[in-house]
This record gives sequence, structure tokens and C-alpha cells, in this order.
Amino acid sequence: MHTMLQQWALYLPDYLKGVGMTLELTGAALLVALVFGFILALARLSKIRVLDWAATGYVEIIRAIPVLILLFICYYSLAQAGLKLSGPVAAIVGLGGFYAALYGEIFRGAILGVDRGQREAAEALGMPRSVAMRKVILPQAFFAILPPATNQLSNLIKDTSLVFTIAVADIMFQANSALSQNFLPLDMLLLAGVIYFLFYLILSKFLARWELNVQRRRS
Amino acid sequence: MHVALHYLGVYGVGALKDIALTIVSTILSIILGVLAAAGRLYGPKALQIAIAWYVEIIRGLPAILQLFIIYFGFDQIGIHFSPLMAALIWLVAYGVGYAVEIFRAGLMDVAQGQREASAALGLSPSTTMRKIVFPQALVAMLPPLTSFVVLQLKNTTLLYLVGFADVMYEARLGVDATNQAGPLYVMAAVVYLIISLVIGRIGMRMERRAAAYR
Repeated sequence: MHTMLQQWALYLPDYLKGVGMTLELTGAALLVALVFGFILALARLSKIRVLDWAATGYVEIIRAIPVLILLFICYYSLAQAGLKLSGPVAAIVGLGGFYAALYGEIFRGAILGVDRGQREAAEALGMPRSVAMRKVILPQAFFAILPPATNQLSNLIKDTSLVFTIAVADIMFQANSALSQNFLPLDMLLLAGVIYFLFYLILSKFLARWELNVQRRRS
Repeated sequence: MHVALHYLGVYGVGALKDIALTIVSTILSIILGVLAAAGRLYGPKALQIAIAWYVEIIRGLPAILQLFIIYFGFDQIGIHFSPLMAALIWLVAYGVGYAVEIFRAGLMDVAQGQREASAALGLSPSTTMRKIVFPQALVAMLPPLTSFVVLQLKNTTLLYLVGFADVMYEARLGVDATNQAGPLYVMAAVVYLIISLVIGRIGMRMERRAAAYR
């Protein structure tokens, strides 16, 4: 126990660098996923068939492919095809692209979940479709989006732990390099576990509070 | 193209291993998951809390970290697993954490009225569970169970990191040998895509059949 804490203290600065990288990747990938996911949701809801098909195909295919393979394709396969991405950029593209499919489905579900009468009322008032979407549908859909979106965010943070396989220095990467120096794999992995679990607890606490707030506001 | 053809057979063998591991771990996770869900809902208080924390830890830690703790971490305290054993232990340990929540939600989904009605008819609690609650819960559980099987399949991609010779492992070796990262990783993606789609199809068919019981 004593040696474990000593080793933790020794490697903590490295881990904190890893934490910075993990958080940066999570933030950037989340941004990509939110923007691209919203576009996907609108495409799937659009009346233009081709857009709907393309978005549906993208979502169905991407969701069925393991994240690790997506990362490898973004990092190694694209490089062979002549598009060389750095490790962090490949991670952001891969994770962002995967989570865009998941967030797209959340947005679509939430938009469809808004009562039909609201859409009809907006139409009866003579609002154009885009204004009705912005002023009537989206504000109401927002509260339905929060809980599943936070849940996916916590999955996204966990999935960033795969980027050490494409040589990005996140928490997992630091843990692996520490354990290859001191040969104490359990101790070093447990420290990473503590950090990831803290993220998870913070997010699920926020999640619970958010859900409570939503319920209060809607009732 | 030549490379792709050469590796098609190798991938096939690796894919069979992944499928076998997915099936075995799913069956074990479901059995243990049902027991744990029953413990979580109806067991003594201490057991309920222990299972709740187990679920939190499995859900809170990254998959790869759990696998590494089992394979590399336990090595430090003298417990040594082969890659296959580590893979199986992890997939089941992870699967139970997710299966518990699926079963718990499914069991709670069955309306209280059903329970009360069967009690009123004089059915024993165990008969109520077996004949009334569980069949109805199963229908509600099918969609999350299908995604659970796909999740387990996708988790097998991580196993090459502890030296388990599956599709990803062969892909890595192939890329090292031929430098053809493009076709080899895309092919691996296609293999997983096809298996996932098949699982989804099977799940959909079961849901359609189960809908008759609604």
C-alpha cells in the first residue's frame, strides 16, 4: 500500500498531462459529434430522399463498426491513402465521427418526440418551417436531449482510452508507460482507474441533477 | 487485391473465434446477470449495495482498463491468466455489469398490477416470477439484449492487445507484414459490420415473434 502511494505520487505529474490530453480530445470530439450529429439528424428528417438515405446509411454503418477499428482507419488507413493525420487529429475525427452517429439519433428522437400539435400550431400561425424548428421544436426537444447526451458523453470519455493505440499520450498511455518503467502494472492501472471513475462519478452526478431539473421545469 | 484475398481466410478463422467468444460470454453474462439482478432487487441490503457498486465500477471504467487490470494487473499479485482466459473473464465480468441493468429494468417494467393479480389468484412468488413476470419482462428486454450482444462483439476488438489471436490481431500482423493498412483495416471493419448486422437481424426477428405475447 505504502509503495503504491509512493509510485502514484511519483507518476502523478505524467498522469495529469494525460488528463489534459484526454479532456482536450473529449472536448474536441464532442464538438465534432454535436455539430455533425445535428446535421445528420436534420438530414434524416429532411424531405429530400437522398439526404435521408445517406445519413441513415452513415449512422447504421458507423454504429456497427468498433471504435478501435475506426481509429485505426483514421490513423493508418488514411495515411496509406495519402491523407496523413496526426494522432490527436485522427482520434478526434474517429471518435467525433462515431459519436456523431449516436448523437444524431438522440437529436432525431428528441425532435420527433415533440408533440405534433406544436408543429401544427406553428404552421397554423404561418411560421416558416425553419422558424418553427428554431423557435418551437428545438427549445422543447432540448430537455429530452440532456440525459441521453450526458450518458453518451461519459461513454465518449471512456472511449478516449483507446487512443493510446494510435500513439496519443492520454491517461491510458501514461499508465502504460509508467508500468513499463516500474513493473507495477496493478498499481499504475488502478491510478488510471481512480481518475476515470472520478470523471464518471462527476458526470453521473451532473446527470442526476440535470434530470431532476428537467423534470421540475417540465412539470 | 492480392493481399486482401490472402487475408480473407485468416480473417475468417479469427472471426469464428470472436463469434465463439461473444456467444459463450453472452450466455454466461446472461445467467450471472439474471442472478445478480434478482439479488439487486430482492436480496439482502448488503448484497444489493455490493451489486449496485459492482455495476457502477464496470460502467465507470473504460473497457480497455478493465481488460488490462485482469491480464497485466493481476500478474503483479501472482495471478496469471492466458490471453483466452483473461479475455473470457473480462467479457463475462463486463457483461454481467451491463446485463444486470437490462434485467433489472426489464423486471421493473412489468406492471405491479400483474404481480398483484397473480398473488390474488393464489400463485406462489416463484411461479409468478417464472410464469407471469419473466416472460413479459423478456419481451421488454429483447431490444437492449440485442445491442448488448453487439457491444460484446465489438469489445472483442480489444482482445488483440493481450495477445488473443482474433480478427484485429491478424489485421495488425498483416499490416506489419505487408504495409497495407488501407485494405486490411477496412476489411476488418467490414467483417465486424457484417456480424453486427446479422446479430441485429436475429434480434429483430426474435422481437417480432415475441411481440405476439404482448
